[in-house]
Amino acid sequence: MPKHQSINQNLQPDTLPNFRNIGVTLRTVLWINGMALFIAAATATSWLEVALRMADISALLQPVLLSSLLILYLLNPLFARLNYRQGIIVVILLTGLITLIIYLLGGDLYVQPGEYNNFLAGRNAILGSIIAGLLLVYFRMRAQALSPALQASRLQALQARIRPHFLFNTINAVLGIIRTNPKRAETALEDMSDLFRMAMSYSGELVSVQKEVALARQYLALELLRLGNRLKVNWHMENLPEDALLPPLILQPLLENAVYHGIEPLTDGGLIDIRLYCSGNELHLEMYNPREEQGVHHEGNKMALANIRERLNLQFDLEARYTVEAGKDFYRVHILLPYVNEVNHDSC
Amino acid sequence: MTHVELPLTIFVVDDEPPARNRIKELLSDCSAQLPVEVIGEAGNGYDALTQLSEIHADIVLVDIRMPQMDGIELAQHLNKLPNPPRIIFTTAYDDYAIKAFELHAVDYLLKPIRLGRLFDALSHVRNAIPMRIQELLELTPEPRKNLSIHERGKIHLIPIQDVLYLRAELKYVTVRTTSHEYLIEESLTALEKEFITRFIRIHRNCLISKDAIEGFEKVVEDKDGESHWTAKLKGLDERLPISRRQQFIVKDFG
Repeated sequence: MPKHQSINQNLQPDTLPNFRNIGVTLRTVLWINGMALFIAAATATSWLEVALRMADISALLQPVLLSSLLILYLLNPLFARLNYRQGIIVVILLTGLITLIIYLLGGDLYVQPGEYNNFLAGRNAILGSIIAGLLLVYFRMRAQALSPALQASRLQALQARIRPHFLFNTINAVLGIIRTNPKRAETALEDMSDLFRMAMSYSGELVSVQKEVALARQYLALELLRLGNRLKVNWHMENLPEDALLPPLILQPLLENAVYHGIEPLTDGGLIDIRLYCSGNELHLEMYNPREEQGVHHEGNKMALANIRERLNLQFDLEARYTVEAGKDFYRVHILLPYVNEVNHDSC
Repeated sequence: MTHVELPLTIFVVDDEPPARNRIKELLSDCSAQLPVEVIGEAGNGYDALTQLSEIHADIVLVDIRMPQMDGIELAQHLNKLPNPPRIIFTTAYDDYAIKAFELHAVDYLLKPIRLGRLFDALSHVRNAIPMRIQELLELTPEPRKNLSIHERGKIHLIPIQDVLYLRAELKYVTVRTTSHEYLIEESLTALEKEFITRFIRIHRNCLISKDAIEGFEKVVEDKDGESHWTAKLKGLDERLPISRRQQFIVKDFG
């Protein structure tokens, strides 16, 4: 890594994949079995033989694969303490070792009586290590392929998160009260500065749900200034662990959508209903807003949503889910994130 | 030769109370150099139309993005008044509208509004002629939600979803709803273009609402036994003739 980094070279350091992520596990299983099938097919001469060879390979492969995944899952927190190079060496050696142990433990299962020799044991261990190495290369390339997207989505997110419409209208509203209610104008400017600080310092790190909620409330206070009693908000956070972490500025763009597309076009305004709760080991974010009955769908909605979806994918891969229900006169968004906290408990 | 100038009367329309407050403060700052008088304000287009039918304003400051009726539609209806006010649009951020304003040299103010810009706009618009309805239509891709007529000193709105058909007769267009018939001074071609998703042309002089189509009937002319198609609309006994060129409609909607 170069010592001086300009903004343009803000590259992420390489890291090992998160072995506790379902996406990583699933990809590993698929790739390894894919390779096995390829080898089985390449060496066979009939369809039946493909199946037989696959069964043959699986006898050793599946136990090694599953125990490796299990051990990596258990050791995952320890990898965080190693640098990337050390991590790679540990993973590769570990896989080789696991292969060797299972091969030796399997005894007659893998070896015809009298056929045992050092070559086969050594070869299997080395092949195990090599495959582990190849997968690490794959995950590194995948991370690199995604990282420009991360950069781009960061910028795009920044623009989409705070709409110019909101910025200029809010400044105008603050100017509108500055003579009659200077105290409130002060608070509004402070809220705005917090909001923009968060938006501009986006680092990809998770923040506590409390902080995220506080920021969302500051945002809503600003909208309240403009919309007055047209905007009503209900928060439900009964079953929400305070230590839960989530990516910053997930709530605010959703609320901004709800205000811009839902509340603002209604003459009498409406109620935004927000539910945050933890269930099983997942964090649920639910948001409901009324909207004008309409045949035509707004495009702006989709952009902000696509943006959030991409950020969730980058952060959690397959573990975050997202549903949108666009009714005739309402809009409901439901996001599920894995429950994460500082100490890494897995359930709430 | 000096004469005392009457103050400019100004009406403010914006759905956000602080934004209206801001404009009023700036107008009072203006009054040292330019005598102005704020004669009223409204938080939505309907309220503005009602008030402005009663009182005359020289200039109306209109926010573009408002619930139910946007500022451009409001301006189109205000244009039907016998002595229509001059309009200055205000907007915080609206790419499409601003491009259109520049193209048609329409007066607009960007929020947050500066005193200097407001002053310039007021001085300029005072001497300008009111915009024509056709110019106003070109400012937005969105069709109006209402048609409007000036009737007995009031602007009367006809919600577009109530309109069953539009038929051109001489220089007017008849607007037919279930219960009433109105005459508006607009061109059928322009109306067809604006409401292309809602209406379909069945004849050189007639557009019908797609939602109102109940069925089609073949009518035989008495004289030479020639027959032609007619459209039957919901809630109307009248049958509207479909021209030979437009007969494909019978198949598409039948």
